[in-house]
Amino acid sequence: MRRANITVALALVSASAFLLFEAGRFNFGTLRVPQTGFFPKTLVTLLLLLSLVLLVQALRRKETERGSEKIAADGWTRIAATLATMIGFALVLEWLGFLLSTFVLMVLLLRAIEAPRWSKVFTVALVTALAVYGLFAWLLSVPLPAGVLGF
Amino acid sequence: MDIFTNVALGFSVALRPENLLFCFLGSLVGTLVGVLPGLGPVGAVAFLLSLTFKMEPASAIIMLAGIYYGAMYGGSTTSILVNIPGETASVVTCLDGYRMARQGRAGAALGISAFGSFIAGTFGVVGLMFLAPVLGRAALSFGPPEYFALTLAGLTLVSYLTQGSMVKALIMAILGLLAGTVGMDPISGEERFTYGTLTLRDGFGLVPVAMGLFGIAEVLENLAVLSTQSVYQTKIHGLLPNRKDWRDSAAPIARGSALGFFLGILPGPGPVIASFVSYAMEKRLSRYPEKFGTGVIEGVAGPEAANNSATAGSFIPLLSLGIPTSAIMALFMGALMIHGIQPGPLFISKYPELFWGFIASMYVGNAMLLVLNLPLIGIWVRLLKTPYVILFPLILLFCLIGVYSLNANVTEIIIMLAFGIIGFFMRRVGFEGAPFILAMVLGPIMETSLRQSLLISRGNFMIFVNRPICAVLIVVTAAFLIWPIFMRKRKDD
Repeated sequence: MRRANITVALALVSASAFLLFEAGRFNFGTLRVPQTGFFPKTLVTLLLLLSLVLLVQALRRKETERGSEKIAADGWTRIAATLATMIGFALVLEWLGFLLSTFVLMVLLLRAIEAPRWSKVFTVALVTALAVYGLFAWLLSVPLPAGVLGF
Repeated sequence: MDIFTNVALGFSVALRPENLLFCFLGSLVGTLVGVLPGLGPVGAVAFLLSLTFKMEPASAIIMLAGIYYGAMYGGSTTSILVNIPGETASVVTCLDGYRMARQGRAGAALGISAFGSFIAGTFGVVGLMFLAPVLGRAALSFGPPEYFALTLAGLTLVSYLTQGSMVKALIMAILGLLAGTVGMDPISGEERFTYGTLTLRDGFGLVPVAMGLFGIAEVLENLAVLSTQSVYQTKIHGLLPNRKDWRDSAAPIARGSALGFFLGILPGPGPVIASFVSYAMEKRLSRYPEKFGTGVIEGVAGPEAANNSATAGSFIPLLSLGIPTSAIMALFMGALMIHGIQPGPLFISKYPELFWGFIASMYVGNAMLLVLNLPLIGIWVRLLKTPYVILFPLILLFCLIGVYSLNANVTEIIIMLAFGIIGFFMRRVGFEGAPFILAMVLGPIMETSLRQSLLISRGNFMIFVNRPICAVLIVVTAAFLIWPIFMRKRKDD
């Protein structure tokens, strides 16, 4: 946890340095008439100070506390696969259309943890896609993208 | 108008067929969310928020509130039967509730927690009904300095109460405030940190950020370390607590109701804290404190009552001051603002139908939950056995579609996923999402009131100490900031 804390503190210090630079383009104004940059600049300065406090704390403290549970390799695989699937979904949604993208998304996600039988995967994915479509498109009349295939 | 006319007006709104339906749906979904681990009430409210845009404002808030207090009911069921708290406010219930279930007294534990919740929920609603209008009238005299001090005090308290390091919580709060500055400057209209993105011109959307931090991040965490829990097999018989149970529980329920209500008003995760404090209090007051943790009914009755009345109490600052005090209240504020309704001192007099309808619906909802929960326990238990393999794709799908349906904007999905990833990693190193989301919502209020105060005082910061209410709030804030440094009581994570 000590190393994690130091890493995060360093990341935060550099983030606030970057933000300080970015906020530089806004006009601070004066205390009498504070302008656009007043609030962000004040916040970023506070952020920098607190990150430094965190850094000092992390450096001074010995490894005593327990961090969160360690993630095994297969845990990371599951997370990466799930995230990739969702990002893919976002990218193809408007091109492929709601029904098809949802079906594919569900098929991939259902197999992310273990590999159930294909028949089961397809059934659940199909039923979900249709049910969610019904719920959103008909009951709630939310416009969902149709996609290249027209559905 | 006197209170009876108001209550009558409220029931005329709450008992409309469509509102009864939404109240029912809300409590049902809430119970479901409470029962199923892996999705908390904040995530659930976030993804149902998008469904409420097309509803009447009254129906929207009635349904969302149902989810909130429904989750409090549902969470206790799993605590008692499986030793898995469905959400954090029922963590304490595990201690004695699960022990009772192991001794074959699951029925009594479930029964007392449902009745206790009902009694306390009703107490909380009555309190809300009397206190919110009074506070709202008092808040009419508030100017920008008071609002600034109020938001500052709220954020500090939430950071103080967050588990773990206060420095980390404060960092999250400041990051949240910074996220709140993205988009147009509330006073001059100048764009900040948008980098030419159209989606960001109005700032980060509350729903994508909340769903990312609380929905996606939670799923990722569950995926990281899969746990298998078995449901404790037991016959549940006799849901009605016996006479002795009632005698033992009466005082804890009464104390829990009062305590929870007042802790609920304060900023922070009221229901969670209320349940812990109530447990500690009952243990101290008990003639047999050593038995706590072995299955005594007081340990279930008190905390369950406390978390439910805290739920009602936490609506007070939002509805009468316009200041949300927790992540979930921030979402309620978002729900109202989407309908063009600004919660605050004028809310009750401007929208009496909405306020009193909402109050009445909470009575109705509490009664529904009592009827709903006890006979349906069998179904909830069976639902608990839904394998995570099927559950998590559904949660993710609802998050994705929920966010997309807001504005039919794919960029918002990406924003949600980004906050999901950030939230996941931050949580692993001890940074909590609650101060962030609250700060993001409070940010614009805080900035506007601070700048207006300085304009009024011509740059003199004494304006925050010269006004009595302000001064009190500033002193409280300072105390909470300085206290940990001197006490060294709170370890840094």
